[in-house]
Amino acid sequence: MQTVFGDMFIALSFSTALQVIILGFIGGVLSGFIGSGGAFFMTPGMMNLGIPGVVAVGSNITHKFGKAMVGAKKHGELGNVDKKLGIYLILTSFIGIRIAVWINSLLFKAGGGGHGEGGASATSNLYISLVFIFILTAVAVSMLRDSMNTKNKDADQGPSRKITDFLARVHLPPYVYFQTADVRVSIWILMAVGLATGYLAGTIGVGGFIGVPCMIYVFGVQTAVAAGTELYLAMYMGAFGALNYAFQGFVDIRLTVLLYLGSLFGVFIGAYGTKVVKESVIRIVTGTVILLCVLSRGIAVPVYLSQLGWMSMDDRWNVYLNGASKVMLFAAGIAGTTIILYNVAVTYRQRRRIHQRLTAVKEPSSPRAVSISVPGEAG
Amino acid sequence: MQIICISTGIAERSIQLANLVARNLGYPVRYREQLLEEAIKEGIHVGKLETSMIKPQIFTERLALEREYYRAFIVTNLVRTAMEGGLVYCGRTGHLLFSGISHVLRVRIVEDETARLDYVMKKLNLNHSKARRYIESVDEDRRRWGLSMYGISPEDPSYLDIVLNLGSISTANAAAALVNIAQLPDFQLTPASKRALEDLMLASHARLLLARDKRTFGANVKVRADKGVVTVTYLPQDAGLAEVIGEVLSALKGMTEVRTTMASTNILWIQEAYDPSAETFTQVAEIASKWNSAVELLQFKPGAIQEDAAGEVLAPTSAANRLSSAAGGIEEDEPGSVCEDRGMMTTQDELARLGLSGGGRVVCGEAEQIVKSLDRTVAYSLVVVGDMYLDKGHSARLRLGRQMIGYLSGRMRAPVVSADELKAQYLFGRGDLFRMAKYMGAVAVILLLVFTYQEPILRFLIGADWKSKLLAASGIFLFSPLFAYLHGNVAKSVMKLIRME
Repeated sequence: MQTVFGDMFIALSFSTALQVIILGFIGGVLSGFIGSGGAFFMTPGMMNLGIPGVVAVGSNITHKFGKAMVGAKKHGELGNVDKKLGIYLILTSFIGIRIAVWINSLLFKAGGGGHGEGGASATSNLYISLVFIFILTAVAVSMLRDSMNTKNKDADQGPSRKITDFLARVHLPPYVYFQTADVRVSIWILMAVGLATGYLAGTIGVGGFIGVPCMIYVFGVQTAVAAGTELYLAMYMGAFGALNYAFQGFVDIRLTVLLYLGSLFGVFIGAYGTKVVKESVIRIVTGTVILLCVLSRGIAVPVYLSQLGWMSMDDRWNVYLNGASKVMLFAAGIAGTTIILYNVAVTYRQRRRIHQRLTAVKEPSSPRAVSISVPGEAG
Repeated sequence: MQIICISTGIAERSIQLANLVARNLGYPVRYREQLLEEAIKEGIHVGKLETSMIKPQIFTERLALEREYYRAFIVTNLVRTAMEGGLVYCGRTGHLLFSGISHVLRVRIVEDETARLDYVMKKLNLNHSKARRYIESVDEDRRRWGLSMYGISPEDPSYLDIVLNLGSISTANAAAALVNIAQLPDFQLTPASKRALEDLMLASHARLLLARDKRTFGANVKVRADKGVVTVTYLPQDAGLAEVIGEVLSALKGMTEVRTTMASTNILWIQEAYDPSAETFTQVAEIASKWNSAVELLQFKPGAIQEDAAGEVLAPTSAANRLSSAAGGIEEDEPGSVCEDRGMMTTQDELARLGLSGGGRVVCGEAEQIVKSLDRTVAYSLVVVGDMYLDKGHSARLRLGRQMIGYLSGRMRAPVVSADELKAQYLFGRGDLFRMAKYMGAVAVILLLVFTYQEPILRFLIGADWKSKLLAASGIFLFSPLFAYLHGNVAKSVMKLIRME
């Protein structure tokens, strides 16, 4: 992939720009569907286009900042944001982000990829890929296991309670009470969760997959408040991450803008999809897409190992492996998006029929309303 | 059919109180523990429900169904007993069970802290500090149970009629006081409250039947009843159940019609009189159809509002102090407060024809009666406040309407809008077209600039020294949310245009 300024910013052809917009759109659909930021798809997707990992993370976190600001406002209006909880998590997440940015910059420079110089960003690419694989495998396996468990009629406990039960037994004062979330949490656990969320957001651009489950399973917060507070947190983390990566010169504003073009439409469609797709199908689709993204990243790892000289491999394989990684990622995203779009389209057509009935002369009853009269006693 | 609900924490004296009141009034008494045993025999996983509500854990879809099953079972049992001639119920959060039923006397018992501690220490053989922690955890569990089960804190005073402190009044005197209060006209059955109770019985019984049938047990449904018409709202993922629901409920006594509506959320439309040919109906139906919502009607008849010479609203007139008969006959409804149907049934019929009906009810009185009559576990995506205070002048109507919107906004977790604002906020109009064009223009200009001047911009973003790096970082910090805002508005307008937002 042709770059400008050494290894940093790629030359954007029309087709590459279009691919970034599609990445943004698919990421947005999945993000609206799942409730996460979509970075689990967009970050590796951009890396597959030849964008250095650290620039992919920096550009995506900048995109996340603006998107989260728009979403947090809406959740705030619905009373789903516990600002006090958000602030406690923000403080330690900033430390996590700083650590992540420092590590990423260090590895990028160690790989020989300074601004305007030649050399590969293989070290930081490898590091980002490994963190991505490790964390998201855990998330995907957990999600798929839970969706399999809920099919069992007797399994009504949902995700594992082990963490919650363990922490409930451990007494770690001081505790802080959060009114909107209606929970009491140990400050040490708050700090640990904030640090982990910030570190992961700063490393791979993925924060929601850790933050939301932690708030729900570890703190005991309701799902809607967890999602709203996470968006509030994502806004600040995105802002801080954007500032840090931009200061280091790792934000490609063209990519950020192209991601917005697709994602801000995709989010609406994905959110619409949650109304028409079963909860269990949502979990299975989400878990499967994430696992395929993880596999696609895993396929690219030998390329980085070879670039670093840690593995001997014919250079011709790089093209095939990168290609396979890209195809698998796009296939995963497109498959997941297609399922969602199909259900959305079917429901949308139903709505149009009802709307036409509203504006036309009286017609027979809608198929989704069954009015059955029962002869017999009145109330 | 009078109902007295005594809600309490640690219960020994409260049970004595309930027994005394029941004996004096000649009513049967039911206890929470009894109902729990019956619910367990019914097959409801009460233990899991209790554990999941009071410990920090995800409330799964399965447990949500158990909650609905439990509530339907409890309410059906209690209302059936009450309809046979009255009821005294002693439980943890019983006062939250009969929202919107006016002839229920809701009593909260508090006990002296020392007496509670002594009781727990003796009964459970605990020392002072452990007993205190136990009482705190019981109170916390009770609070969480109320919030999870009913969406209401048990301590919310607006859902209570009387609070009695058994530390400062003997059980016998407390019982005598309650018996006297129960005789007041405010807590007597009226035709309207009798109808509300019958509707509650019908809806709970319908819900119970659906929970008992294997075909519909797993369906996440909401059931409402109004004058024999049962409306069942189900989610899109249960789309195949419309016919089955009708079959399951076909034998339900007292039901004249069952309506099923597929919806993933609800819109609450509050108005004093309805007209299905009005513009507001078309707008509400269009939004409901876009959002896959059921429309729940709430016909509100404001209580008698009087104003002084300065136009300030005075406190509402209290109910007439008429003595009820010794036999506890049905009170007449207040003159002028009869809540007759003003177009609600025809509007419901029209909504049902469109597949959007979410049921309806009539509420008379003050604004807080609206909030008290609602099931707080139902998710509303929008609350529309239409024309009210129709017997007032235009400016009074506007002012009172705004006050109502302000009051509801502070108490409901959904946007509350007036009927006039509906089109502007939720439907695509000419103004939206201009706004969309404006934002699209801004986005196009920014894209043109970014891609025409790529290299200078990227050079600027890299930055040679710390000052230029800081400037670049600040520029990105300001630019990103700005572009998100502009393009976000374009996306929102397009989605609104194609009715997909």
